[in-house]
Amino acid sequence: MAEDLQRNFRSAYYEKVGFRGVEEKKSLEILLKDNPLDVEKLSTFSQRFPLPSMYRMHVWKVLLGILPPHTDSHPLVARYRQEQYEDVREALKAMRFVHAATPYTELYLRMHQLENQKLMRRSELTQPGEEDEDFLAIARAMEEIVDDPVDCYWLIRCFVNQFNHKFGDSIPHLPKSLEHFLSQEDSRLLAHLKTSGSLVLLPYSLWFRRCFAGSLPESSLQRVWDKVISGSCKILVFIALEILLSYKIMLMGTSRPEAVAKFLSNLPQENTDAIVTKAIDLWHKYCGTPMHSV
Amino acid sequence: MAREQLNVGDLLPLLETADLQQLDEIKGLINEHLSTERGSMLLNGLVDYVLETNSTQAMHILCSVREPHDKHLFDKMNECMARQACRLPTLNLLGQVVRKQPSWIHKIARYPLLLSLLKCLKTDTDVVVLITGVLVLVTLLPMIPQAGKQHLYEFFDVFGRLAAWNLRNPGHVSEVYLIHLHASVYSLFHRLYGMYPCNFISYLRSHYSMKENMDTFEEVVKPMLEHVRIHPELVTGTKDHELDPTRWKRFEIHDIVIECAKVSLDPREASCEEGYSTLPEHFCGQLHLRPPDCTASPYTDFLSSYGSSSSTQFSTPRQPVLPPLPLTSLSGTQPAYRSSPSSRRPNSSCEFNSIYGIKDTLWSPSSQCGMATPPSSRGMSPNPELSQSAFHLSGRFHSTPAGGKGTPCSSTPAASSPPPSLTEELPSGSLHHSTTSLTCKDGRPIDSSKPPLLRQEPIRELEKAGGEVTNHRDSATETVSMTLTELSVYMKEQEQLRMGKEREEAAITEELLQLTEEKRDPGGLRGFDSPFFHTTETLTGAQQKPPSTSTQSSLLREANNAVSTPDKTDTQVGHRGMGSRGPSQEQPWSFQPVFTPIQDPALGHVRHSPAADEEALKYNLLSPSPCKAPSLPYEALFDLALPRAASLCLGHRTSEVLERVTGESRLVDVKEAEDHATTSVSPLEVLDRLVQQGSDAHDKVLKRLPLPSKSADWTHFGGSAPLDELQTLRSQLLLLHNQLLYERYKREQHAVRNRRLLRRIINATSLEEQNNAMKDQLNLQNVDIMSLRESLQVEQQRYRQLWDDRETMVTRLHSQIRQLQQSRDDYYTKNQELQSKLLECQKRMGEMEADLQRANNKVCHTGHQLNQLTAKLSTSESTQQQLSFLSKQLLLLGEAHKLCVQELHQASPDITKEVQMLQMSYGKEVERLKQNLLLQGQKLDAAQQRVAELETQLSKKEHLIAEQKKFLEDVKCQAKEELQASDSRYHAQRCITQVLQTELLQLYSRLEIEAPTTTASASSAGNTKERCGPAETSVRVLDGSVKAVSKVAPALSQSLHGNGSISSSGQAKSVNGSHSTPPPVLVEPPPLRPHVPLGPPGPPAPSAAAPLTVGSYPSAKSFLGMRARELFRNKSESQCDEDEVLRPQLTGLSQGLKTELCVEPAVKTVPGSGSGSGSALAVAAKAAQTHGLQRAASRGEGGGACGTPARPRQQQLRIMDYNETHQEHS
Repeated sequence: MAEDLQRNFRSAYYEKVGFRGVEEKKSLEILLKDNPLDVEKLSTFSQRFPLPSMYRMHVWKVLLGILPPHTDSHPLVARYRQEQYEDVREALKAMRFVHAATPYTELYLRMHQLENQKLMRRSELTQPGEEDEDFLAIARAMEEIVDDPVDCYWLIRCFVNQFNHKFGDSIPHLPKSLEHFLSQEDSRLLAHLKTSGSLVLLPYSLWFRRCFAGSLPESSLQRVWDKVISGSCKILVFIALEILLSYKIMLMGTSRPEAVAKFLSNLPQENTDAIVTKAIDLWHKYCGTPMHSV
Repeated sequence: MAREQLNVGDLLPLLETADLQQLDEIKGLINEHLSTERGSMLLNGLVDYVLETNSTQAMHILCSVREPHDKHLFDKMNECMARQACRLPTLNLLGQVVRKQPSWIHKIARYPLLLSLLKCLKTDTDVVVLITGVLVLVTLLPMIPQAGKQHLYEFFDVFGRLAAWNLRNPGHVSEVYLIHLHASVYSLFHRLYGMYPCNFISYLRSHYSMKENMDTFEEVVKPMLEHVRIHPELVTGTKDHELDPTRWKRFEIHDIVIECAKVSLDPREASCEEGYSTLPEHFCGQLHLRPPDCTASPYTDFLSSYGSSSSTQFSTPRQPVLPPLPLTSLSGTQPAYRSSPSSRRPNSSCEFNSIYGIKDTLWSPSSQCGMATPPSSRGMSPNPELSQSAFHLSGRFHSTPAGGKGTPCSSTPAASSPPPSLTEELPSGSLHHSTTSLTCKDGRPIDSSKPPLLRQEPIRELEKAGGEVTNHRDSATETVSMTLTELSVYMKEQEQLRMGKEREEAAITEELLQLTEEKRDPGGLRGFDSPFFHTTETLTGAQQKPPSTSTQSSLLREANNAVSTPDKTDTQVGHRGMGSRGPSQEQPWSFQPVFTPIQDPALGHVRHSPAADEEALKYNLLSPSPCKAPSLPYEALFDLALPRAASLCLGHRTSEVLERVTGESRLVDVKEAEDHATTSVSPLEVLDRLVQQGSDAHDKVLKRLPLPSKSADWTHFGGSAPLDELQTLRSQLLLLHNQLLYERYKREQHAVRNRRLLRRIINATSLEEQNNAMKDQLNLQNVDIMSLRESLQVEQQRYRQLWDDRETMVTRLHSQIRQLQQSRDDYYTKNQELQSKLLECQKRMGEMEADLQRANNKVCHTGHQLNQLTAKLSTSESTQQQLSFLSKQLLLLGEAHKLCVQELHQASPDITKEVQMLQMSYGKEVERLKQNLLLQGQKLDAAQQRVAELETQLSKKEHLIAEQKKFLEDVKCQAKEELQASDSRYHAQRCITQVLQTELLQLYSRLEIEAPTTTASASSAGNTKERCGPAETSVRVLDGSVKAVSKVAPALSQSLHGNGSISSSGQAKSVNGSHSTPPPVLVEPPPLRPHVPLGPPGPPAPSAAAPLTVGSYPSAKSFLGMRARELFRNKSESQCDEDEVLRPQLTGLSQGLKTELCVEPAVKTVPGSGSGSGSALAVAAKAAQTHGLQRAASRGEGGGACGTPARPRQQQLRIMDYNETHQEHS
């Protein structure tokens, strides 16, 4: 309560008049001050509010388990992580899987493969499979977001692991869910998509397996990933839904499913922020706001 | 319809019927047709008829046609105008129509009729047509003020032409016509000047600046200009502005006429009402009379008169006026109203004349109007002085006849006039005067009031005259010559020659005039009944009346005043010089009208003269003789008369009369006088004179008719042919008629104006009455206020009295109050005393009561004591009894005691000691126990305290423990996290290792493939191929399943050392692992067997047997085990065979792993044993080959020898031991 009193009494009104994120930063700072960080609260916060970019990496790390909730052990764990990264990288280097000129994304992929014991023998290296491609896409996106390679690797690794671990089962159901919500939002579009046969050809893997990596610009993407990292894969459905709604005219105009798929795979990068904002609103509308108060 | 049309056309001649009823019917019929039919047939017929017959009835009908027919009418007339023959009748008809003022008359400007009229005026040469046309135009102009502007220059051209005509006389018409023409041009001039001054003046300027027109200007236009004032528009207006239609919007027709008249200085042309025209006239008179007065005194005079009038008008003059006013207002009827100003005015004017003399003009109707309407009041402002002077003049003028013929004058009208009976005695006389003078003027209105009679008359007269004209030639020529004399001196001379005849004529005219005058009087008598009386009076007679109303006495006084003022006499003397030609001649002529009625009351020829008289009357606003009275000749006359006005007039009166009766050279004198007196004579006046003379001549001719022979007369005068003459006369008559009609029209305009002014008068009077009523009310209220004030005073007195009474009452009451207060104070003190006494008594009472209580207490105490004593007494008695009883018992007991003591002395004495001892010991014991108890209690307390302390400590501890637990938890979590991190690190490391290993293995396999036979031994040459296969398979197995690799790989690495069974990872549980590994280990020891004897024998053997059975050979029986054995043997063999470089490395690595994971830290010989074992292995391998036979024997002991046999193997043995014990325990 004392904390609440210390906080700005106007905070209740900020949202009413349309200022978002004024108080969120503060509340997040308060959250981050706890010694054993409350991961639950952090994830709820991340679901409800957009993360301030200065704390985003930190929160992601905590949420993904890269850093433990205990702040005291952060340096130690960070050191471990770094060492591990170094070790793996050196090993790969030693084994000549990678060399100095290898792009980081490939390095990350190899490291991931190594750690998951999926690394083939060097002589048997084949073209990257679909999973590897997803990983690479995510890695590329993450590389844009994060500067430090160690952090980047760890974030990619944990993000992919967590995503696969948590939502591996629900991902196949997401297209169904998208169809459902689309029928609620705009049944005409759905009907059109169905009749034209584009519904099955929508870039689901791009959307749901790569979490829009490569589809949306990083600024928008990280807002989406905030939600994914904090534990919701439904947001992906709403992003997809919102994309469909936003380009409804375009979609209604074309009846060729290939064109639709092509267009959706290469979305224009202009107003993705608005799309994401709207999608988040839609998501809140349908799935409700996580009520765990900060 | 056509037939009917024809019928109606046929009806037209019937209009001339004498039967009035039939006439009405026919008229109705025609009108009905006109209203139903829209064609022009009937109308054209009517017009034709009128042109043909000059029928008045038809003309009436035409004048009153309705709207749609106006076009036809105008068209038809336009058509007729084109024909020379019917131009004149058409113009006549047009004149009639225009004078009738139908509502559609303004449309005429749109029709070609106006143009053709103008064209006719510009081109025609017939004088009669021209005159008629000009008159029509003059009449028409005010009706179409704004429509006329496009024809403006045509009007001016007409004027220019006719003015020139007047002088040059291109048609060589007779002079008589010229007079008429001149008069009509004069009217046109006035009209144009009045309506369009700027344009007209500019026209005149341009037109007469030409040389050829100069003479016209000099002769004709200049005299006309002398008769007009400067038009105000010339100052303020512009050419465009005066053509502006809006300017005319606010004017009615008669307004325009009056506007035009206002700028005229000609009394005949000008309006008398507003003072414009009269103003200059009387100014002239005034100037003539007394210039110094006019220059010096007008202001003072004016001011004084006005100042006094403004003050006296409301204060002093009021009082005489007020009484009659309510009466008139009460009567309320129109006649009463009409009579009231007239009756009141004389009344007041009489008063003023007698008292103030000057201010009577203030009571003229215009002044009363002035109260209501600003314009008239403005018009009034210059008036007083002038009207006053006029008053003087006329007063003087009238004084002579009135004074002289006072009795007859008053006698004749007095009998006939029904004057307002309300007027007092004094004004009645003056009123009679006014009535007489009024009757003179009002002859004309009365005529118009009886049109049926008179209409017929003039026409008939005309016809008659036409018939008789031949006889009148003489007179006509005479008149002609008369008029000419006016213009040339030559004619005068001619007249002088004909003096003798003239005298005769003069005498006849004299008679005629008398007749007319006589005639006029009855007309005047009739006039009183007519409703026009007062209206005409106010209009035309306004100026005449004040003079007439003046009483003789006042006039006389005025005259005396005039005589007494020296400057007046001076000027008048000067003027007399000018007009001294014939004062004697002048005066009789001027006085003629006044005298005539008396002179010839019984002349017989009434029947003939009326027509001419009527004509003459109608012709001028002012009938010949009285009209001339205020005119310029008169003024001239008065100029002469004034100096010695009263005396001279009175004195000469009789002689003048005599002179006039003789009639010697009267007309010549008149002409001369005129010539001298007036520099420019108004054309109207000339015309008047002409008419008069014409009528005179006519009468004369009539008279003379029987006497002279016709031929002689004609030839004698050298006149033209009789037919010519007749024609001239006829057209003259026509012209006269036209002129008459024009004048009548003007009169009607004035009548209209009169009505308006009358309305204003009425308004004014009503307002005045209202004012008076309000004043009365005010007075009443004042009275009310007074009475209220009185009552207020009374009330105040009463109030004061009441106040005094109250005062005395108050003082008395005050004194009473004071008395009462004193007595009250006395009572108060007494009361206090009594109260103090009461208090004392009460105190005493209290004391007494206390005493009483004390006494009571005592009594009670004593009673109580008594009771006690009685009780004590009873107890003492009972104790005494008991005492006695007890003493008895004591005695008995004493005896018994003695007995007992005796008995006791006889029993043992030491019991008491023992008892004493016992008691003592008992007491001591009790004491000790008590102390013990106390101690115990203290201990308990301490213990309890301790317990509490401990409990708190316990809770603290628990809390601490909880905290510790929490912290521990926290730390655990932290540690777990860290551990996880490190675990993942480890995991990564392991993965790395695995990958490295696989890589290694791959490298190895490649190496082997590349150099398969390099290091293989001879004996195992065959086996290498064999071995290669399994190696490959094992590697493939590794590749195939990660799990298998992770399990097999360590197993392999451990199995290489032979102690794979104790891998701490717990993963090496596979059949090939722990169970298959022992054999190599067991295989290897045999070379160490020689040391067995050295180790401790016996007891371990049986115990070691079990592990052997467990670890070694059960697997050997199975196929897999066999195969593994083979494999590992091969491997070990191959290991042995392979180059020495790799081997220590691998063993070192596996050793390191082993030591790290499962070997106890206590063993310090690991490095040594590593190498040792390496060598031992090598030795063992050799030994295996060398001592193949001993293998079976040593196998049994190997297990037992494992533990101790050799130092190098000690560690492995130990492990084995551990393993054994472990397995034993498990």
